[in-house]
This record gives sequence, C-alpha cells and structure tokens, in this order.
Amino acid sequence: MTQMYNKVTDEVVAKLAAICGDQYVTTSEPLRHSYMAKGIMGLEAVLPECIVRPANAEEVSKILVLANEYLIPVTPAAGGLSGGFALPAIEPGGIYMDMTRMNKLTVDTENRVMVVEPGVKSGDAWRIFKTKYPEWAPPIPDGAPPAATVLGDAIERGFSLVTGVYGPQADMIMGLEVVLPTGETFRTGSWALDDAKAFYRWGVGPNPDGLFLGSQGSMGIITKCAIKIVPHPHYKTVVAYGGETWDDIVRPAWEISKHELGIAERTVMVQGGNYELVMTRWPKENVPIDYEFYKKIGIDKKWMNYECWAWSKEELDETLKGIDKIYKDYEVREKRTLPQQSLHPKQIASRLKKPNKIAIPYSLWQAGFLFITWYTPWLESSAMMEEYCAAMENYGFPPTMWVASIDHARQAIVMPILCFDSTEPGIFDKIREFNLETTRSFLKKGWVNYRPDPFVHAPETFSKTKEYYKMLVKFRKVLDPNLILHPGRLAIPWESVTDLPNPLNE
Amino acid sequence: MTSLEDLRKINARCIHCRACQYAYSGEPDREGETEEYTGMLQGCPAGIYFGWEGYFNSGKQWMARAFLNGELPASKEFLEVAEACTTCGMCETQCPNYIDTVSVTEALRAAIIDAGVEPLDKHKGFGDRVGNEEMRNPYAEPRSERTKWFDGIVDNKDAKVAYFVGCTASYRQQQIAEHTASILKKLGVDFTVLSDEVCCGSPLLRTGLRKTFNTVMEENLELFKDFDLVLFSCAGCYKTFTNDYTEQSGKELSFKTRHAVEYVYDLIGEGKVKIEKPYNEKVTWHDPCHSIRHIGIAIEKRILKEYNNWLLDSRKAEKAKEAHYEIPRVVLDAIPGLELHEMYRIKGDSFCCGAGGGVKAQFSDMALSTAKERMKEAASTGADVIMTSCPFCVTNFTDAIKSLKEEEKETGKDLSHLGSKMKVVELLELLDDLI
Ligand SMILES: Cc1cc2nc3c(=O)[nH]c(=O)nc-3n(C[C@H](O)[C@H](O)[C@H](O)COP(=O)(O)OP(=O)(O)OC[C@H]3O[C@@H](n4cnc5c(N)ncnc54)[C@H](O)[C@@H]3O)c2cc1C
Repeated sequence: MTQMYNKVTDEVVAKLAAICGDQYVTTSEPLRHSYMAKGIMGLEAVLPECIVRPANAEEVSKILVLANEYLIPVTPAAGGLSGGFALPAIEPGGIYMDMTRMNKLTVDTENRVMVVEPGVKSGDAWRIFKTKYPEWAPPIPDGAPPAATVLGDAIERGFSLVTGVYGPQADMIMGLEVVLPTGETFRTGSWALDDAKAFYRWGVGPNPDGLFLGSQGSMGIITKCAIKIVPHPHYKTVVAYGGETWDDIVRPAWEISKHELGIAERTVMVQGGNYELVMTRWPKENVPIDYEFYKKIGIDKKWMNYECWAWSKEELDETLKGIDKIYKDYEVREKRTLPQQSLHPKQIASRLKKPNKIAIPYSLWQAGFLFITWYTPWLESSAMMEEYCAAMENYGFPPTMWVASIDHARQAIVMPILCFDSTEPGIFDKIREFNLETTRSFLKKGWVNYRPDPFVHAPETFSKTKEYYKMLVKFRKVLDPNLILHPGRLAIPWESVTDLPNPLNE
Repeated sequence: MTSLEDLRKINARCIHCRACQYAYSGEPDREGETEEYTGMLQGCPAGIYFGWEGYFNSGKQWMARAFLNGELPASKEFLEVAEACTTCGMCETQCPNYIDTVSVTEALRAAIIDAGVEPLDKHKGFGDRVGNEEMRNPYAEPRSERTKWFDGIVDNKDAKVAYFVGCTASYRQQQIAEHTASILKKLGVDFTVLSDEVCCGSPLLRTGLRKTFNTVMEENLELFKDFDLVLFSCAGCYKTFTNDYTEQSGKELSFKTRHAVEYVYDLIGEGKVKIEKPYNEKVTWHDPCHSIRHIGIAIEKRILKEYNNWLLDSRKAEKAKEAHYEIPRVVLDAIPGLELHEMYRIKGDSFCCGAGGGVKAQFSDMALSTAKERMKEAASTGADVIMTSCPFCVTNFTDAIKSLKEEEKETGKDLSHLGSKMKVVELLELLDDLI
C-alpha cells in the first residue's frame, strides 16, 4: 500500500503543545509504550507517535484540524479498556488522543438522562450515583472493571447492566456531540437545537448517530453524549438454572424473556456459560480440570443466570416464582432436567456487583485473554456456541464460553474467551487463524461480529457486504475526507489491512 | 535475585484493565462517611500526581513488557518514569491476576540500570554511601556511631533476640530506637543490638541498585543468622528482611522476624501485656505500606503457593492476609481511652504516605503532595492525631503538616480541614509511654 499518512514531526508536536499546553503532550517513548495493550478485544496494535490529553471539545477540534492538515492519523481512547481496539491499528501510529481529562458528568433525573464526557469512568459514575442519586443507576458496562467509561461502552455498543431489557449500550444514547476532522462540531437529536434538552433521540431530523456508535472512533470524535439513566430499585437478586446442553439454557431463557413485560421486564440481565467459565479464572496448574469436581461443588455443565430488580419484596418473589414456573413447565414439556442452582449469598452479591473485576482473571489461566464478540438471533446462539467450543478445543484453547441476552432475548451476544499464553511464540498467528476459520463459517450462517477486528472480522464481513461497505466509505469520506481517524479500523482504507479484493473496485 | 526476565510470565498476565488504579476496585458499594470517600477511589499516588498512564502500575506493566520484548530501550527518561512510584503496592492489592506489581517495578528499575543507565542522582547518592564500608548507611554517617544511641550491652552474644535498628532510627530518629529498646526492656526481652548491623538495603532494592543491596543483604544474613528472633521498629527494614531477603537470596531466613508492634500484639494476645494507662485522644491510624500491605500480601501469596486448588482455597489465604491487617487495630483497641476513627482507605487499600520507593529523596514534590492528600483524608475523620509506625510515614506527614502551616501563615486561611492542626504520633513512642 502506498503511504497515505505522514509522521508526527517536531513542528506538529509544537503546535499540539500550543493547543493543549506543554504538560499535556508527550512523545516520550516509554510513555507511548505505557498505553499499549494486546488483548481484551484486540491483539493488533501499533505504537502511537505522540500522546495528547485535551481538556475540552475546542482543543479536540483544533487537534483534528491540525492532524487533518498534516495528514496524521488520530486514534481516540477513553478508558482504553477495549485493549488493542483503542490503539492505532496500522503504521504510522500518529496521535493517540487520551480523553481521560474530559470527565464532566451532569445528571437530569427529571428527564432521566445524564450528560457525560468521554473520560467519565464507571467506578466514578457509580460512586456519584450511589451518593447523590441512589434511586438511579448509570448505564455502565455490566462486567467491565471500573476504568471503563460510559461513553466508550456506548461507542462499542457494549453490554450494559440493563442490556437484557434496554438493548445494547448504544441504544441508551439520547444525543451526541461530535467533532469532525474538519473541525466542525455538531450535536445529534433534540440536542441539535440550541438550548434544547437531550430528550428526544431522533431530534430535529434524520439522526446520524448510528454512524458513530460502533465506528470504533473512525467517523468522528465524540466529546459528549447524553445517555439514559435507569431506575435503580434495591430489591435485587440472582437465580441460576443449570443444564447439560446449550439449548437447555438458551430455550427457557427465551420463554422467560419473550413476553417482555412483567417478569421479563424485571429480569434485567440474563447471562450464562459453561463450567469452563468458572475453571479458567484460575491458573491452569492450580485448579481441577475434571468436570467431576465442578459437579461436586454444584456447578452444572452449562447454566443461565437471571438478575432481577424489583421495587418490593413481593414483586421480586413474584418474578422468581414466574421464572421457576416457566422452568418447571419447560422441564415437563421437553423432558429435560434443569435444576436450579443453590447460590451462596456471597455468590449472589458478587454477581450483583457493578462495576466489577469478575472477568479480569481469565488471564490467570495462562497469561492473556481475548474476548471475541458476536451477535446471533437468540435461538441460534446454541448452534454457534456448539461450533465455537469445538473449534476452540481443536485449536487447543479451553472452550470458555459466555452468552447473554440482548433486549429480551431478541439477540444473543455470544462471547468465547480465548485464554492463552501471550509469551508463547506464534500464538497471535494461531489466534488469527482460529478467527479466520470461525469467522468464515459464521458469516455464511448470517451471524455478525459486532466489535470487528481490523484484519479478520472487518475485511471478511465487508467482502460479503460490498454495497454496504461502499456506502460506509462514502459516509466516511463526507465526515473525514482524508481518512485520518483511526485508519485501518472497519477496513478503511481497505488495503491497509487486507489483501482481499477491494469491494470499492467491484 | 529475581530478575525482570524471571517475572516475564507474571507480567504477561496484565491485560491492561487498569483496575489497579483504584482503591477498593472490587467494592463499588463500599459505604463511606462522606460523598468524597465512598465506593472506589483513585489510589495510585504517582498516577494521581503525574496523570500519564506510564505513572500508573497499569502503564508500567506495559513498559516492562516492551522492555522485555526488546521494543523499548533503557534510557534515563524511562528510568525517571519507572522510579516515580512509591512502590506502595496499592495496585498489587487490586490485581485479581495476582501480578507481583511491585516486584516487576523494582526489577524493571534494576534492569534499566543494569543496561547501563546511570541511577537517578539522589538514588545513586545513597547507593554510594551504603556501598561505602565506612558508612553502610544512606545518611553519610560514620558506621562506628551506629549504636551510639544505645545504653545497653551491644553485641551481647548470649541474647537470642536481636533488635535490628535500621539507619533512620540509628542516625536520624533515635527517639524511635530508644523507645523501642525501652519497650523491649519493660517487656523483659533479653535482646541486643549489633554494632556490625548495616543498612537493610531497602532503598537500594527499591530503586534498582541490586549489587550493593546484595552485599548488605549477605552481610546482615550472616550477622543475624544465629538469633532466634529479630525485631524491628522500621516498617521498611522489616519488610525487606521478611519478604525480600527470602525472595532475593532464594533461601528461607534462619530466624523469625517481627515488627515491635506485632511483638506487643503477640503479648497482648497471650495475656502477658495489659495496658492500664489511658490515652484520651481521637486517633486515626495510617497503615504503613511496608509492614501492613506488603507483609499481608506476602502472607497470602506464600499460602497460595502451597495450594493446588485455588478456587477452593484462595479465600483461606485471603483471610490470613486480612488477619494480618488487624494487628495494629488490636493493639490500638487495647489502649484505654483511645478513640479510633478509621480513615476511608485502610488496610490493603490504604493510601500511601508518599515517601516510599525512593520517592521522598528524588521526587520530593510528589511525596509532599501525596502526604497532603493522605492528611486530608485523616482530617476528614475528625481525629486529632494521625498515628502510624514507620519512620518514613512520620517524616512525610510531619513535612505535610509543616507545609500546611506555612500555607496558613501565608494566606491567613484555616486549613485544619486538610489536617494542619493534627499531631503525628509514632505508635512505638506511645506504647513506651503506656506500658
Ligand atoms: C475484564 C473486562 C470485562 C469487560 N466486560 C464488558 C462488559 O460486560 N460489557 C461490555 O460492553 N464491555 C466489556 N468490556 C469491554 C470494554 O471495557 C468496554 O466496552 C468499555 O466500556 C469500553 O470503554 P472504554 O472507555 O474503555 O473505551 P475505549 O477502549 O477507550 O474505546 C472504545 C472504542 O471507542 C473509540 N473511542 C474512544 N473514545 C472515543 C471518542 N471520544 N470518540 C470516538 N471514538 C472513541 C476507541 O478508539 C475504541 O475503538 C470488558 C473489558 C474488560 C477488560
């Protein structure tokens, strides 16, 4: 590929310092390395050439105008908790925009929205709500550690603590403030109107915010978002039911969720997995790997958790009874045995905790992990998990699998957790091969990767959605004519990430 | 010696989740007294002070990885970032991947220096002075005067218990040495101090000067090898002997170690000490990182090493760690009249005083700013006294109060809500008065 981008020069650094202040710009080699990550969501990342830490949208705008003028790539990062996905994908690494200084949060309980800047982290949002707005909860990622941001999760269309009923985090958005590489800044939704509140997402006209949510920062930089807050009743618990097969956990969950109202509405979170999900949170050498052990301690081969929130004890009990009845009926009808697990109060408390550290220890199994995230229609998730687990075992990975319902089991998010040893030579190539094989098979079945990695998922998917890709590139060129934003992501420019035939040429 | 290379696999467990930046990273619903001190809070002194990712442990782990993989060369700039950390271990408490964060940081510093980078000037200074056989202390004091403060029998060969005094109590805060010796006498301990005692090497190990550390470690191990028990008044020396000598020499110690506060705790537990004299003060307790968090974590990791099934047994190891964190609280509880008002960040999640890891000498502004943040937390409890048991914490808090007082003088403002009127008390001094 011909070099499209320029490197960061001393002149550019001086101009950046004039925008943000000397103390918020660095080209220090060690500091640049300190932002690296190869894991979580993305394994491929290249070193940025310069880090900037803007204080506000005005500075963001000036930085983008400068980068656009000098054809320097820009990668925005909020909490950085998507790992490699929040880092430059291709050379030259360009400017890494660390948004953590922009951390203002305001809450409007009357209209049930909050406005957050990109640096507002889950841990801090939770503390502020706990002390000031205990009747409300901020939409934070359900299982991410405290440094993940509210906005980053929306950009990722992530899995929030109420995704089971409200849909992906991006569905909670009520308005965005976006800065483009041309320096233009605009707002979406009713927010576009000066002095209007962010009360109506579809606002003053056709709403373009879907272009930014899921774009991995490649369409524009979001400097603020208005996002729904949710009621936070304090009668909460978790119940879990086991089974032998994926269908044993997927089908009853569908029966519970599809009604949408009543007990389904109070079941804010439906998520499950297999016993390997418990096993691989511990070092391979220091935990039994035989299922018999897990059976003995009451862990089924597969299970589904239901997290219920209610306004009163009666309502909570009624919800649990409703779930149980659906399970009992299902067992009789389908002739299956699906026992309710007896959860220790500590287990329940740990599952109710947000934000939490529950998913971090998958790195303990060996030394490193990767979440790969796919959406399927809910009832097809069993087939996907079956195939995924077999492929994982084929490649020598433990078949650690997690699944959760999105919007009342309309969709499933299926997420294998690849536990691997990041010090093993050739391991990243092996993972890429695994990704390629499974991606090709899943795309044929119509399943969608929703946080695509730039080298496998994006080019493979867009090779099969050529017209869509052409349209995407058109939009991108309107918003970011020189393609300076997070190049490589979403396979734009195409040749920067793949040798496959470019859909634009067909 | 544990090298950075030895820690490669442990470092590789870091996924860069940044949970280590928070105190109580696993306790979002922890109740506090005020809005400011509730839930999880930023907890990394260096990260808070400098802001860049590289100053947090999470960034350091990735710099260490790049260095190990040959992607990041050793340089003065790199060493400066790596050294700007108090090695307080707050991050280590948070990490569910059990990464030995402090060991990685210390090994990284050593590896950068071993690769030919000159140690930072203040660190080099105390390295040179400890390396000097005429001194063997970082304060440039003559070795011959190490035990000058002591009026008992030095080098008593018959004693089974030794008191390792440490450089700070020997040369700078002799009152701590005197109080400790006095407590031991009152408790009827047949102990001695040794004229050949040398610096424990803590400042050297923390800052990457491993060659000299090794020399003093070997000298101390040889000197104390025939004692049954070695007691300490300095949290840093205690941690260095107990944790680091074992790890760095690869051998178990031939003697037991105990901090003097722990020794008093043991006797209280056995019913051999009962404090009658009251201390009618409102007190908040600051856990010294070295003697509380580091020892606690080491207890947990040591136990874990022996277990095959961490899923079932990790809780037992955690409980042993938590029991260690109770020790000073049991002692304070045994003092009549003492009203303990705990700060929000305590025990494993305690916020550092800002002095450790070579920071006080090399990055004095960061040390002062960190101490002030801790003083503010102390003041928020309504206590009049901030009590601790570590000479470095005592010094740094005293400096913070002095600076607040100066600010009060300059501005005419009352800064008591930031701790300007608080008194710093070393627990050993108090115990000497009460026992
Ligand atoms: C242990 C663990 C558990 C997790 N569990 C969950 C979970 O339960 N649910 C879930 O959804 N996710 C989860 N995640 C993934 C991730 O943490 C979340 O998606 C997170 O919220 C991302 O937010 P962030 O602030 O870290 O975003 P970042 O990683 O900083 O950014 C996300 C993407 O958005 C882009 N971006 C960042 N800021 C901007 C901006 N201002 N404008 C434009 N683009 C921008 C970045 O370039 C990147 O591509 C988990 C991660 C870990 C490590």
